[in-house]
Amino acid sequence: MSALFRKMEDRPWLFLAPAVIVYAVFALWPMVDVTIVSFQKWNGLDANRQFVGLANYQYIFLQDPVFWTAFINTVIWTFLSLIFPPAIGLALAIGLNREIAGRSALRAVFYLPVIIAPIAVATMWRWMYDPFFGLFAQTLTEWGLPVPDFLGQKDTALYYVFVAYVWQQVGFSMVLFLAGLQSVDRSLVEAAQIDGAGRWKIFRHVTVPAIMPTITIVLVLSLIHSLKAFDIVYGLTGGGPAQSTQMLALWAFSQSMKAFDFGRGGAVSVVLLVITVAIVIPYLRWSMSREVHE
Amino acid sequence: MSHVDIRDLRKSYGTVNVIHGIDVDIQQGEFVVLVGPSGCGKSTLLRMVAGLEAISSGSISIGGRVVNDVAPKDRDIAMVFQNYALYPQMTVAQNMSFALELAGESKDVIAGKVGRAAEILGLKPLLDRKPSALSGGQRQRVAMGRAIVRDPQVFLFDEPLSNLDAKLRVQMRAEIKGLCARLGTTTIYVTHDQVEAMTMADKIVVLNGGKVEQVGAPLELYDHPRNVFVAGFLGSPAMNLWPVEAIAGGLKLPGGSILPLDGRHPLPQPGTKLTLGIRPESLLPVADGPIRAKVALVEPTGAETIVAVTVGSETGTVLLKERFSMPVGTDIGLAPVAGSLHLFDAATGMALPVKAS
Repeated sequence: MSALFRKMEDRPWLFLAPAVIVYAVFALWPMVDVTIVSFQKWNGLDANRQFVGLANYQYIFLQDPVFWTAFINTVIWTFLSLIFPPAIGLALAIGLNREIAGRSALRAVFYLPVIIAPIAVATMWRWMYDPFFGLFAQTLTEWGLPVPDFLGQKDTALYYVFVAYVWQQVGFSMVLFLAGLQSVDRSLVEAAQIDGAGRWKIFRHVTVPAIMPTITIVLVLSLIHSLKAFDIVYGLTGGGPAQSTQMLALWAFSQSMKAFDFGRGGAVSVVLLVITVAIVIPYLRWSMSREVHE
Repeated sequence: MSHVDIRDLRKSYGTVNVIHGIDVDIQQGEFVVLVGPSGCGKSTLLRMVAGLEAISSGSISIGGRVVNDVAPKDRDIAMVFQNYALYPQMTVAQNMSFALELAGESKDVIAGKVGRAAEILGLKPLLDRKPSALSGGQRQRVAMGRAIVRDPQVFLFDEPLSNLDAKLRVQMRAEIKGLCARLGTTTIYVTHDQVEAMTMADKIVVLNGGKVEQVGAPLELYDHPRNVFVAGFLGSPAMNLWPVEAIAGGLKLPGGSILPLDGRHPLPQPGTKLTLGIRPESLLPVADGPIRAKVALVEPTGAETIVAVTVGSETGTVLLKERFSMPVGTDIGLAPVAGSLHLFDAATGMALPVKAS
């Protein structure tokens, strides 16, 4: 065994090989395959896949009545995801970074939703949103207020689904921000106090620059996560009512797995992939160039 | 007036007392060094003066105004931190002007003050650089510049030279001392390095275990330590401290050597247990010297030679100006320079009174 390790010592690629193989098989190949499928007509069962060129893209961009709804919903969803979960997560992290009673328990409580499977979160919230027996309906009735059909109205359903998503995601941002806040140099805060800075100025001139790398990570991860939002929407509304909560990831799934048109489903997936890469890579490059390295 | 008065100052964290009633008077323009081993409370004391630590009891006044409950920004102090605490995203000029901007000073006033401070500290060519592009010494100067521009009543330094290499430390030591003297600002400086304390201070406050051991001018403390702690803490190499027993006319040393007393102290009662203190530079190798010792190690530094010896079961150090090349294990005789003996009560550690001269 030790002879094997000695042999491997000057062949570093051997150490990387297992990870590279796993990555190639389970991450890279599916991306390549879905791109190939997006240029084909295939129902997922036939032995033959027929090459159709850009026909699938032409269809989803020009004829598919749902694609653009899903696209706009995904844009709205992503935009909201970049604001609410990070902002609430940061506020919670700032609060829970102070010496308060029950701090550890509260941190665990706010993080708990993150470890619950999104489909289970969807089930819980679906029950809470039930217009007759749900928690919200009962509470509103108690207060004598009208009870809306939370998930049944197409103008607002997306936002009610998003609330459940925020509830689940906020703990994730909070934990990352907590780690970031704990790395803020205490003496910088004290120097700012002596310099005459109040809380807001300290936050702006000391805390924010210090947690800039964390902010970048949180925003990038929120972005990636929101673009591929699927299971919570699937579990809560399945894309309805009247496709009003349809998302690109969900639409790709529906096209492939329900309509058995893997070519169109693949084309939607490729569009999503391109959008993700096109946004994330320039943002990462920009934010990394801005980070101040001590 | 910018004198600082510290009266019966105490600090406790829960039931743990870390500062046990400290009294220090700091006159206007004085350079006071708080020195002591790690955990003695010197940084806590400085941070209490800065307002970064709450006071459990007692009072601190700056310029005659009690500042116990005054926010750090309103105490009219400036502090230089051990790690400099420069804002990494700001340039040197922005770092230096930040406090003035917060105070609402006009752009012209800020530019003038920053320019003058940069001139004094030789920072003019670096004003547009970020801290990450500066060397340790330059960062140190920026931290001082940030303190100077505010023209405070008191400068506070918290071990500002610890992160610098030995050569730069000596250089910055002289610069800080010179600068504070030129500006005439009252300064409180914390260090664990007794050489820094000796070379920079007008007045040293030696702290140990949250209490003041002795306050005084550097050489006064060096020549007349009040107790064994101060005697052993100040001086490098440290003072030799040996357990001895008083006998008629002299002292019985470890290993049985008899050392006649030099007449500086009244004769103690025979049989009294004492601690004898002799500075390493006050011991000379003399063939028939009364202190019988054995060479344990010879460390030539070039300018001096440090000779580690054993005296009976005790260890000791001799600091010689001349070269010394005895082999390890050689028996030698040592004689103290006249008037250089320090005697301490073995039980209390306090210095025995010296005869009035």
